[in-house]
Amino acid sequence: MRISDYIEQSFSNLWKKKLRTFLTIFGVVIGIGALVSMISFGKGVQKNVTDTFMELELFNYVFVYPRSEDSQTDESSQEPNTPEKASRQVRLLDDDFLREVTKIKGVEWAVPEVRFPAMIRFRQNEEFSLIQVLPADICESGLIRLRAGRFYTSDDENALIISDSLLRRLKITEPQTVIGQEIELSTMAVDFSLSNLSNIISFFRGRGLPFSKQNYTFTIAGVAERKGGIGGMPLRSDVFIDRSASEQMKKLSLTSIWDFFQSPQQAEGYSVVNIKLSSIKYIESVKAQIDDWCLKAFALIDQGEEFKKGFLFMDMILFAVGMIAVVVASMGIINTMMMSILERYKEIGIMKAVGASDRDVKKIFLFESGVIGFLGGIFGLFLGWMVSMVINQVVNYFLARQGVPYMDYFSFPWWLCLGAVVFSILVSLTAGIYPTLRAARVDPVVALRHD
Amino acid sequence: MNSVNFVETEDLTKVYSSGRIEVIALKDVNLSVQEGKFLGVTGPSGSGKSTLVNLLGGLDRPSSGSINVQGRFISELNKEELALYRRSQVGMIFQSFNIISSYTALENVAFPLLFAGVAKKDRNRRAGQILTKVGLYPRRDHRPGELSGGEQQRVAIARALINQPKILLADEPTGNLDSRTSREIVQTLSDLNKNQGLTVIMISHEEALLAEFADDVIRLSDGKVVEQEKIR
Repeated sequence: MRISDYIEQSFSNLWKKKLRTFLTIFGVVIGIGALVSMISFGKGVQKNVTDTFMELELFNYVFVYPRSEDSQTDESSQEPNTPEKASRQVRLLDDDFLREVTKIKGVEWAVPEVRFPAMIRFRQNEEFSLIQVLPADICESGLIRLRAGRFYTSDDENALIISDSLLRRLKITEPQTVIGQEIELSTMAVDFSLSNLSNIISFFRGRGLPFSKQNYTFTIAGVAERKGGIGGMPLRSDVFIDRSASEQMKKLSLTSIWDFFQSPQQAEGYSVVNIKLSSIKYIESVKAQIDDWCLKAFALIDQGEEFKKGFLFMDMILFAVGMIAVVVASMGIINTMMMSILERYKEIGIMKAVGASDRDVKKIFLFESGVIGFLGGIFGLFLGWMVSMVINQVVNYFLARQGVPYMDYFSFPWWLCLGAVVFSILVSLTAGIYPTLRAARVDPVVALRHD
Repeated sequence: MNSVNFVETEDLTKVYSSGRIEVIALKDVNLSVQEGKFLGVTGPSGSGKSTLVNLLGGLDRPSSGSINVQGRFISELNKEELALYRRSQVGMIFQSFNIISSYTALENVAFPLLFAGVAKKDRNRRAGQILTKVGLYPRRDHRPGELSGGEQQRVAIARALINQPKILLADEPTGNLDSRTSREIVQTLSDLNKNQGLTVIMISHEEALLAEFADDVIRLSDGKVVEQEKIR
């Protein structure tokens, strides 16, 4: 038999039982659709993470933390005989450190991660946010991508950059309209002055904190594009100001609540310093130097293998969930093919009587399974794509209301589209093996007598 | 016509087993049919007539003994070779017509060519030619349900002839037909035998028809040949 005849016969035979064929293919469509959506979601998340990492050059960063006293003790107990190490002094993450670290080969810049909480007030709307201190030159180095306005300079007094995400929370949808406008920042600061007497009294009675509110007026210089919500990045705030502006402000300088629990020695320095390298190749040498200074260095690239494992695990979970529907669909194929063979029992006998070999019979039924898989794969891919698009729009709609920028949570690489159809055909062919063998084993003498 | 034995069986035996029970369908049948002859096979129900035709048609294998068709022992062929034999050397027709109800007359006739790898256009052309020969071309697009019993059997004959076989095996082709139609069908087979030199082996209960059209008639009983009659 010719390939074209097998295909034509398959479509013709399936067409004869339209409803059953439709239901069987629909089962495959659901299965493949579910699988495609699951995998495309996994790939979408991975693509977003990887793209953001690559775009923001996150692999070029080293984050430096002070070593905790515990870990110093641990380390010295592991290497007690290293006089060189024992003699090292614990460095502070201070401005001296910043100056020295920028002299290391490959270091583009180093900035302390200084953030402090503030209430942002703009046109009757208020939002709480963390303000990040980011020197003007670093701001311009490509770390921030502007949607409107300009970067502030170190000469700019009280200019800031605000993220589009925070603007949305402040009910502003057109970033251009806010450039040059005034915005108010209210910080909390420890205040033992007489003007804050009532809070001081409450504090000593154990009923409050000795904080006072400080209001500052800034001008919006630019609107930054907020990239997806990934932690551990150099940019972890929605408002950025220059160091000179920060120095004039009274505030609680803390990166997180944990800063409250730092040892007094550490509290003197910065809690985190972000170092940007010109290339990934300098990571090891920079880390070695930092280690020499008895500081803790962390680079995202070290987590590469962990990321891969995490992504693989996520893929496997999503694949397993999607496979449930595919397995159910393949049961449907087996059932349909068995029914088809029982109904066409006599026809199989006739085929053999007029000269069909067992191999011909097998191929006829395998092609039918394959056609079910092919159609199921094509329409399943389409369904998966449609469902993903709908979910993507709905999720983005709700997340946009919370200021999260638009993201494609699903990714459809070419290999997923091709793979879905091929996989569907393979699953269908596998499901068709048993019915096909049954068909090939039909005894023509018995089948021809069958009513 | 020459007198070469075209079909020859030697001690042909077929035993059906079902658990411990063995049923002897054919026992040591020795048969020879010359090329271009019309052999009639008769006998009571269960005498082994259909088993004999199934064995000669390569649908079944003998338990022992041999079948030689055109100098080739078909009893020794493997499954693929047997399929090729059925496709190219024999045509079979049955009492219950055994045509596919969802296919048109033309599609039924063209069906065997599908397995011979013939292109669709050629299949339809050749099927149309054969249907013309059996007088059914105008009804080529009708399905079996729209055809009479005689017409269905003629579709079956056309299908049996499409691969230009040398032997036509007919298993009670008139069993489901009235006497007039039965006669027409056997007449058609006889014409094919006479005009095209086709060797015909036909099972029938109707001895009068066999006496009228067959060259030789054998009678089977309990799986054995109990009588051989040379008519002409």
